[in-house]
Amino acid sequence: MPSSRRAFLGATATLVVAGCSSTPDVLGLRRSVRVAVSWSGQELRAFQEVLDGLGALDYPVEVVPLGDDISTAFGPRSTRRPDIVMLPQPGLVPEHLKDLDPIPDDLASRSRARLWDELLVHDGTAYGVPFKTAHKSAVWYRPSVFKQHKLEPPKAWSEWLAVNRALSLAGVRPLSLAAGDGWVLTDFLENVLLGTAPSAYRDLAIAGKPNPSRVPELAAALRLLGTMWSAPGTLAGGVDRSLVQQFPDAVVEVFGHRRAAMVLASDFAEPVVRSFAADPNDIGLFTFPAVNPGAAAPVVIGGDVMVLPRPASADARDLVRRLAAPAAVDPWIKTGGFLVDGRTDGYSAELTMLAKQLAAGGPSMQFDLSDRLGRLGDINGLWRVLTEFLVRIGNSGSEEVPAAVEAALADLRKVES
Amino acid sequence: MGLHSNGLSLELVGREISGRPVPGKPRRPAGPYLLGLPALLLSCLLLVPIGVTVATAFTDADGSFGFGNFAVIGDPSALRAIGNSVAWIVVALCLVVVGFLLALVSYRLPGLWSILQPALVVPFAVSVLVSGATFRLIFDPTPERGTITAIWSGLFGTSPVWLGPGLFWLVLVSAFGWTWLGYVVSLFRAGLDAIPDDVTRAITVEGVTGWRRLFALELPMLRPITGVVTLTLVIAAVRVFDLVLIVVPGPMQRDADVLGLNWWRATTTGEDPGRTAALGIVLFAIVAAVAVIGVRGLRRRRWAMPVSAVSADRSLRRSKPSRRVRRIGWTVGFAVSLFWIFPAVVLVATALHSPREAGLHGWWHPGGLGLESFGAAANAGLLRALLSTVLISTIATVVLLAIAVPTAYLVAWGGLPQWLGRVVTSAFVVLAVTPVQMYAAPLRDAIGTAGLAGSRVALALVHAAAGLPFAVLLLRSAFASAPPALVAEALQGPARQSAVLATVQRTYRPALLAVAVLEFVLVWNDFIVGFLISGGPGTTPLSLVLWGEARQFSSSSGTVAAAAVVASVVPAVLLLSCWPTVVRGLTVGGKR
Repeated sequence: MPSSRRAFLGATATLVVAGCSSTPDVLGLRRSVRVAVSWSGQELRAFQEVLDGLGALDYPVEVVPLGDDISTAFGPRSTRRPDIVMLPQPGLVPEHLKDLDPIPDDLASRSRARLWDELLVHDGTAYGVPFKTAHKSAVWYRPSVFKQHKLEPPKAWSEWLAVNRALSLAGVRPLSLAAGDGWVLTDFLENVLLGTAPSAYRDLAIAGKPNPSRVPELAAALRLLGTMWSAPGTLAGGVDRSLVQQFPDAVVEVFGHRRAAMVLASDFAEPVVRSFAADPNDIGLFTFPAVNPGAAAPVVIGGDVMVLPRPASADARDLVRRLAAPAAVDPWIKTGGFLVDGRTDGYSAELTMLAKQLAAGGPSMQFDLSDRLGRLGDINGLWRVLTEFLVRIGNSGSEEVPAAVEAALADLRKVES
Repeated sequence: MGLHSNGLSLELVGREISGRPVPGKPRRPAGPYLLGLPALLLSCLLLVPIGVTVATAFTDADGSFGFGNFAVIGDPSALRAIGNSVAWIVVALCLVVVGFLLALVSYRLPGLWSILQPALVVPFAVSVLVSGATFRLIFDPTPERGTITAIWSGLFGTSPVWLGPGLFWLVLVSAFGWTWLGYVVSLFRAGLDAIPDDVTRAITVEGVTGWRRLFALELPMLRPITGVVTLTLVIAAVRVFDLVLIVVPGPMQRDADVLGLNWWRATTTGEDPGRTAALGIVLFAIVAAVAVIGVRGLRRRRWAMPVSAVSADRSLRRSKPSRRVRRIGWTVGFAVSLFWIFPAVVLVATALHSPREAGLHGWWHPGGLGLESFGAAANAGLLRALLSTVLISTIATVVLLAIAVPTAYLVAWGGLPQWLGRVVTSAFVVLAVTPVQMYAAPLRDAIGTAGLAGSRVALALVHAAAGLPFAVLLLRSAFASAPPALVAEALQGPARQSAVLATVQRTYRPALLAVAVLEFVLVWNDFIVGFLISGGPGTTPLSLVLWGEARQFSSSSGTVAAAAVVASVVPAVLLLSCWPTVVRGLTVGGKR
């Protein structure tokens, strides 16, 4: 008996060892390249398709979806860093230079493009490669509603307010707001600020120690924003509903359940819009209107950059090189909702329009401000301040706005100190 | 061996020996101690990091010993988190009461139980992430998708936003209750069933009824089980972590903050390690305080359950209730079961809709049925993650059993000096209730430094180490409660200890099975250990797919539900098929 048991154990051990050596990555014994991303849902699947399209690799790749907590990839505990971070806040790159390895020189040309260079290139060395560009001044709407009420997509802020008024008088909620995603709120504010005071925006973006609460232009932008959000009957579902909806939910409210007319959502909302639209032909897009008469319309851009936490492995460099190849992202462009810096063809009609606006550039095109404010701009900073601002003013009319702006500035001051 | 005299038949009955047969100190061979060595080594995986955490917490900024780091408790966000954690404990206690009453009703109304039990066990088998996701589906704020919102707006015109400020608590508590109530009721019910019939009859004969009967009979008899149940639930309540992450929408997460989450946010935002370590200690202190009270309840067992060798005469059993009572029991049981299984129905029905349909409409909508959502989940890496989960759970369970059985044997029968036995048991009690946050940070760093980040074997070992204390405690009490007669019999044989072991094995298979099944299911459903130790999801199907997909919850409903269904099949089948044995194993010292 003992001998047969021993034989059995021996055979089992051999099997286990054999099994492990043939599929080492299942046991996690072989070092896989861990890619931290902030994407989820359809975007995550699209990225998976991009990876699959790269063909056979010499190393396993593991995608780690970190969502809004992506900045934790650079946490103080260096050992658990992913090998590649798809950083959705390029503004964080300058803060983390000491944690990052430079990008291989042959890829650096894309990092030196306008606007990207000031974030990604330091002392002549590039620390990130743009992977995906986001156009954050896009408003998706249903043309049928506009046609029915004889309205045109607004070209100026005042026109937009008028459109909202007309729609809510007609019993249609004009705006679906995804307040569940804090960045939607900051995007809104950034567009207004960039449209009213581009130089103040710029100063805040490059300030070493920014104090947004002391910038009068920001207070003015908050008041403008407050006027729109506080108008009764503007937000679909009211404030409570807005607070629990994330950007895809807001899109579904407009295009799926048709309870609102417009939603501020970036280019990357495209696959959500198309997959949930009740009528695939009833999809329209306009860009954020000019806020001050005569001024240029604001264009806020963002994006995901590939960075290599230090020390980067050869495998990680190889994967970055493969992902940076122009053809690598074709599967995602086909899915929709993906813009590449400097490319204006191959997209749907709506995204081509956005890509052209990006290519045209201009002084009113700037990087996402909240990314560049560090912790001031993130989930515990501006996101929360704006959420509370919305709770104070939502649906309550414009007389609440001045007090709410003061309260928001006081909150901001608290975060700054 | 009997005596017959004067028509009297006398039988010689042995009595257990109490006290030492021979005066003096017994010689203790050192050999059995080796049985505990693997457990000691494995426990070091937790003990050393816990030591590091404690040292970090009590080291002030200038490197000296002090309580400076504990100033973090005064932080408003930490205060709110502590308050919420305490509120969760209250919720857990309420759940114990509700579960007890339900068990009592099911005991008084037989017939109900056979239907009720499977319905109650299914939620216990699925992970917290899954039940959180299910209740978020049910309470979705749009009338097209959310069941409750649809019913409410149908009845009253408009509906409150159930996931909105304040109301999200309702969703959280429902999900928590759904998960745990089955466990509570099952254990209480097992305890009620174990009350000897003669005790029940004696009470009945004395004419004690109603509330007095409850206080005279059921409550004192169930004291040990109440201890176990309360302990488990309070620990679960204090450990609430992933439930909040998946249920509460972003803007309200601050209001729903609990200590475990607060700790995690503090570590990830790069707060001073000393302060986060202090938070971990506070969390531990709360759990430990509750555990001490619970264990005191466990110890106060005033009498032993009799072991009946022959089944009692049928006529002496509890009288069969009237047909009317049985019919009521059956109907109530059926209704409660339907209600209880409903969330699972929602989940499966949602998973059977295409992602588009599930994002637009509720589970009851007839259009868009199909397996598309499962395909989408598979595309998100579900299959590979499933494979790795099978591996992790299997390795963890095998390692745990291989180490826990000899250790429990050593503690129960290995002849440890009494004081050492007490120390070991207390150490295991403390370890069993220690929250992951106490050891996660140093352990994660150590694993990373060793180049094992993302290693599934390392993760499985951590799981085994975390499961070890509970397993040893359960097995020890199983081994120790071997009927003395049986053990004496075994001891008289030539091969003393191996015979005891054989007896113990045969008699206590339920405990072994309970440990194996529970460890497998816990590791399978784990989120927090994998999440905190390996530095991010990517090791279990739930964390990979659910966590990734649930970021945009409602529009990914179909995929989330499909992934949840796939991830729940194995634990649900396993627990359902082994549940009676598991309960028997958990209540050792009860009837059998």
